[in-house]
Amino acid sequence: MKVKIFRWRAIGPLLVLFVIAGILWWLFADTIARRESQKVGTQILGAQVEIQRLHLDLRHGKVLISGLTIASPHEAFKNLLQADELVADIDVVPLTEEKLIINRIAANGLRFGTPRATDGRAAATSGDGIAGRVLAETRDWASQFQIPVLQLATGKVSIDSLDPRRLSTIPAATALGARADSSRRAWRAAFDSLRLAPTLDSASAALETLRHARATDLAALNAARQAIDRLKRARDRVTALDRGVRTGVAELQAGLAGLDSLRRRDYAFARSLLKLPSLDAPEIGAALFAPAALKPFERVLYYVQLARRYMPPGLLPRATTGPSRVRRAGEDVRFPKERALPAFLVRTAELSFLLHPTSEQPQRYAGRLTGLTSDPALYGRPTAFQASGPQLAAGATLNHVRAIPVDTAGASVGGITLPAFDVPGVPLTLDPGAGTSQLGFTLNGDTIRARFAIRSTNVRWTRDSGFTNSTIGGLIWQAVSGISNLDVEARLSGALHHPDLAVRSNLDQAIASRLRAVLGEQVAAAERQVHDRVDALVDPKVGPVRVRVNEVQAQAQAQVAQQRTRIDELQKNLEQRLRQLLGGVRLP
Amino acid sequence: MFALIKLIQSLFGALHSEGTEGQLAAGIVLGSCLGLTPLLNLHNAVIFAALVLLNVSFAAGMLGWALFVPIGFLLDPLFDWIGHQLLLAESLRGLWTSLYNTPIVPLTNFNNTVVLGSVVFALLFAVPLFLLTRWAVVRYRVTVGERVRQSKFYRALTASKAYNVYKMFRP
Repeated sequence: MKVKIFRWRAIGPLLVLFVIAGILWWLFADTIARRESQKVGTQILGAQVEIQRLHLDLRHGKVLISGLTIASPHEAFKNLLQADELVADIDVVPLTEEKLIINRIAANGLRFGTPRATDGRAAATSGDGIAGRVLAETRDWASQFQIPVLQLATGKVSIDSLDPRRLSTIPAATALGARADSSRRAWRAAFDSLRLAPTLDSASAALETLRHARATDLAALNAARQAIDRLKRARDRVTALDRGVRTGVAELQAGLAGLDSLRRRDYAFARSLLKLPSLDAPEIGAALFAPAALKPFERVLYYVQLARRYMPPGLLPRATTGPSRVRRAGEDVRFPKERALPAFLVRTAELSFLLHPTSEQPQRYAGRLTGLTSDPALYGRPTAFQASGPQLAAGATLNHVRAIPVDTAGASVGGITLPAFDVPGVPLTLDPGAGTSQLGFTLNGDTIRARFAIRSTNVRWTRDSGFTNSTIGGLIWQAVSGISNLDVEARLSGALHHPDLAVRSNLDQAIASRLRAVLGEQVAAAERQVHDRVDALVDPKVGPVRVRVNEVQAQAQAQVAQQRTRIDELQKNLEQRLRQLLGGVRLP
Repeated sequence: MFALIKLIQSLFGALHSEGTEGQLAAGIVLGSCLGLTPLLNLHNAVIFAALVLLNVSFAAGMLGWALFVPIGFLLDPLFDWIGHQLLLAESLRGLWTSLYNTPIVPLTNFNNTVVLGSVVFALLFAVPLFLLTRWAVVRYRVTVGERVRQSKFYRALTASKAYNVYKMFRP
């Protein structure tokens, strides 16, 4: 029987199925595209992306987005930006290659930093994906900086909490005392092992015999010569012992000097318990403003590192996490090809936005973004962004065309209200008011160079009521409350993994000199008190040890010297008597 | 429960249909492709169209799909590994690069490790599966097939309305 290959009657139902699928696509394409855009945008940026309405008009190559909101990846209840409307002109043909080429985007009604009702941070809460990893890396990077803490003495200076067990000198003194005792025993044993008494006794006897002997008494002469030889050997042994004693004594003396060094360390430790304020101007600048100054660096670095992950240089295959689905996501590997279109490209984006939109005279700004692409090597030109307007100039370049990426960003914003912040370690709140802020950032390969500055001429200070009784808090208040100008500058330079941070402000010197003038005496008195307290704990232990070491040293050295004198004296007498008997004649 | 009943209906319906063993085995193989690979991909539209248009057992296809979906989930780590090895193989880079830059082909998501790994596995598995299924159907029909056909259980099963729907697509 011949079996038919095709089931022709099924063509009808299959066509119906495809028509139904087409109708469903037509009905739900906008919704699917909106949801996918939200999902992909959230995954890429690490922050919630919300779109109120999205309309695909593939016939005319247009995509209309209304009500776009992108949450801030760093702040819980803040948006990075909102846009009233975005119109994108896209190339339809590259869509068949799963490539999104946007010729032009026109964005209107952009607003930045608006509040939101829910926490929109995706990467920070989940830690998943590329954005989550980059966020964790930049946080680690920011936490590496050792920011000095400006601690204030808030009450009477006291070191009651000084625990003798935490002082280094006391255990070192005990150990040195034990070492001195052990040296004393060792040297005594070594001295006994010299067995000098028989040598000296036999030498004395030989000398006595020689006194009554004549020049022809060869036996007495030989006995005297042998006694001299024995004395010489004994002196050599004493000299060797002396060398050992000297070395041991030097070590014990070094131990005593070490006790002095440890005592200085104990002074420093006890001083740290006092919470005395730093009087060094650069440290004060870093303590006051480094935490606030690091934030913009950390955020710019986050976006730059994201760009480096999503826009890598070169044309090698790139693997990224696949789409989320019930089945395992796997990895999507992209294969860029020379002289082909990149997977994603925004040729031009025209941005227009308002600052202070609710004020009587809202300020209109314009920006332009060109060459935003997933494959910079294929596009061949860097991504560039610039924006300008009244009191605003901003620009950024992401150059990933060559093997070593170079990213730069710069912005100068004037007339904006800078947020008030608590000055760390000091009971003060600083409200910079309307001022100018500048940011410069360059990441060339792995070398970073960045600068952030804030300038304001109408600074307001608020004193924390909880610290009204703090003497030093009051002094700092007196030093800064009359200052209405603020000029802060933070600089970052060096290798990205370990850069140098320098922060200075016009307040550093003011606070430092004020503290030094008023607190200098108090600090000196407190430090004297610290020394006395440490001495009171340390001296009873160190004093006896010092005495014991000196005793051991004197005893050993005296014993060596005494024996050496005795040997020398006997040898000298023997030799003298021999010369008298022989009258200068040398016997064979 | 309904799905289970449908599955059992499909199983017995296919085994006792007038279709040849080859038609049943081919249906199972096409269904296994649907089940082993992630469903919402372009290649599965082609496989589904083939299942409908080719004179193979549609019920066997549905049965194969249902049977191989859990196996697909279980074998996803293997598919991921196979896909990884193939996509990142130096010798195949030229092939993948040209396919990736050819219209329509990227819409198949072949550049996803799980998709490529599962498709390759399903293709390699197709021939042994076809031969094994055909042998099993032959054995069933010559041994217990007739007894099952006479059983009350089978009559009750084939009397349901769902069976009528199935008959529309039987070979």
